[in-house]
Amino acid sequence: MTSGLAIRPPDAAGEAQLVVDEVTFSYPEHPVLHGVSFAVRHGDFVGVVGPNGSGKSTLLRVIDGLLRPEHGAVLLDGRAVLNHARRDLARRVALVPQQFSLDFDFTALEVVEMGRYCRGEGGARASARRALRTLGVEHLAERLFPRLSGGERQMVVLAQALAQQPEVLLLDEPVSALDVAHQLQFFDCLERLNRGGLTVVCVLHDLNLALQYCRSLLMLADGGVAAWGPADEVLSPRVIGDVYGVSAHLHRHAGQAYLTFSPRPRPERRGRVHLLCGAGTGSLFMRRLTEAGYAVSAGVVNALDTDEVTGREMGLPMAVEAAFCAISDEVHEENAALAAAADVVILTDVPIGPGNLRNLEILRAAVARGTPAWMVAGLAQRDFSGGSAGVELAGVRQFPDGAAMLDELCRRPLPPH
Amino acid sequence: MPTGSPWTRRVWLSLAVVFLVLSLFLCLALGSTSISFGRVWDYLVGGAADDPAGVIFWQLRLPRVLLAFIVGACLATAGTILQGLLLNPLTDPYVTGVSSGAALGATIGIVVGLPAVPWLSLLALLGGGLALLLVYALGQRRGHLNIYVLLLAGVTLSQLLSAVISVLMVKAGEDLHALLYWIMGSFSARGWLEVEIALFALPLLAVPLFFARELDILLQGEQRALELGVDVERVKKILLVTAAALTAVAVSVSGIIGFVGLVIPHLARLVVGPRHRKVLALSLVLGAAIMGLSDLAARVAVAPSELPVGIVTTFFGAPLFVYLLRSRRRL
Repeated sequence: MTSGLAIRPPDAAGEAQLVVDEVTFSYPEHPVLHGVSFAVRHGDFVGVVGPNGSGKSTLLRVIDGLLRPEHGAVLLDGRAVLNHARRDLARRVALVPQQFSLDFDFTALEVVEMGRYCRGEGGARASARRALRTLGVEHLAERLFPRLSGGERQMVVLAQALAQQPEVLLLDEPVSALDVAHQLQFFDCLERLNRGGLTVVCVLHDLNLALQYCRSLLMLADGGVAAWGPADEVLSPRVIGDVYGVSAHLHRHAGQAYLTFSPRPRPERRGRVHLLCGAGTGSLFMRRLTEAGYAVSAGVVNALDTDEVTGREMGLPMAVEAAFCAISDEVHEENAALAAAADVVILTDVPIGPGNLRNLEILRAAVARGTPAWMVAGLAQRDFSGGSAGVELAGVRQFPDGAAMLDELCRRPLPPH
Repeated sequence: MPTGSPWTRRVWLSLAVVFLVLSLFLCLALGSTSISFGRVWDYLVGGAADDPAGVIFWQLRLPRVLLAFIVGACLATAGTILQGLLLNPLTDPYVTGVSSGAALGATIGIVVGLPAVPWLSLLALLGGGLALLLVYALGQRRGHLNIYVLLLAGVTLSQLLSAVISVLMVKAGEDLHALLYWIMGSFSARGWLEVEIALFALPLLAVPLFFARELDILLQGEQRALELGVDVERVKKILLVTAAALTAVAVSVSGIIGFVGLVIPHLARLVVGPRHRKVLALSLVLGAAIMGLSDLAARVAVAPSELPVGIVTTFFGAPLFVYLLRSRRRL
């Protein structure tokens, strides 16, 4: 299922710092990784994502030489990590674990100092302080570690890893237990360290954090590489749909991309719905009805209108007019054709003006055909066309609001038209 | 109790050393024949003396007191090591099964009727060593020492060997008294030969001090210690064998003295915090002094008779342990 999805072949080994070459690993009776290959360049910020049980944490432990792969190898600057003494490897690769327990009254500074172990006795205290200062949490130095909050602890554990002065930093879901403010604080620190030259490989569950911070992404599925490449290419709705089995929608807002998810549409088709909408009144219908298994179309919406953006991201058939333009004959015909194929035509509570007045003709045509035609009541309040909208809408079923319509549609299937 | 600043910790260590010296003098001075502090000093610097008190001091009291101090230091150090390695506050030096092996060795010696000196100690050492080999072999798998399997094997072996000892006790007849004293632990009638055996343990007492950082890091778990670059297998093996050897030496010269190896490390941690460099140093000092004082109590409490010292240590150790459990959030 996953082999066809590789987006970019691994980099040539020459420029790579860390090469994972055909790694296969099994726990007794339980295969975890098979044939995982990718190469990380110096200074890259790599996210490792994938569903639960896809082998992310295991991969990290193989990279850190803690697990011995059955086949394949992990090379650090051309030398197998397993050929390093533990202490030598700890000077080059540091790991921030998913769980960290220490139930003894060490101060935060003492905990960070333990990270200096691999570098010998000298200057441990000063380096530990420096690591805390780098992360802006020097004030925690004398506090007792077991009494710190989850967010503070994670910063101290990161400082402990930094005290190793590694070239590569591995992190295993470092923020999954933190609130959003601490998540961002943590990743901003990582970003700063990365800009200073540290190579970061981070296992993540939150795809939006991955999209926001990681330059490259490795998507694992069932212990194999589902996709590997630039973050925004790996996190395409198609890849996410294949790997996680959900519908993903990529949005761009204020210069930043983000993902939203919804359950996969049900396989059975419940009928066609055509929305006469605009100005954001149809977006919720599009999402909810699609999830409920309806084939949804829409029109006439103007380009870059919220409904047009939503429908485009969802790949719905739509009749689209240029921005700020009144409905042209050509687009009107398209709209009529989409409506003609529908089992129900719905007019949302979109305001009606001269520009979209022709949408009402579509509704009247549906009534004339005998197709169920529904609308949100109270058209007079949102009629800005000079009073011409309200006439001749007899035969259109009125609903108090959109929610009532959605309830009706989601509760039972439409009778076949 | 202060555990915080380096300054208070240093003060506590200094106080502990003063306590050690005072205890030493007290143990040397008091007994069935009391000797003044001044005379103790004279005897110590003046060498062997011919007067009766001097003979008692040099032939009986000094070796006995030294032995108690060394055994206390050994047990407390072994307890500190094992509690750190196992991350388990209930661990004492006897969980490795070494003590039961040593006890069985000594019991066989007593029942067979071998002369106590030097055979009991040697047989005990042999028994302890064999027990360690067995438990170690059970805990090891493909080069990896599973310390929990080892612990379970040790506890199981202890039970088994105790049953064997019980059988021997039933058959012991008139040797029962000697056996009982040995099993409950006693420094009665120990002399310079036992001290010489115990001196073997002195270099071993220094070993964990070289692994203080590793022991600290291991408190985060073996996995994390590996990640931070500790050669966990090697450190575990060295420390475990050291703790077992310390225990075997202690048991071979004094029998099974309870609670010192369990309580003293907790007491030390309470005073100086969790860092092993300090915990080990203070455990060693406190273990020595408290064992000496316990033996003093065993000698004088029911004079002219004597108690097994293990009874004294249990009498003070059990309530102290409960107190520590109740007063501390974490041990």
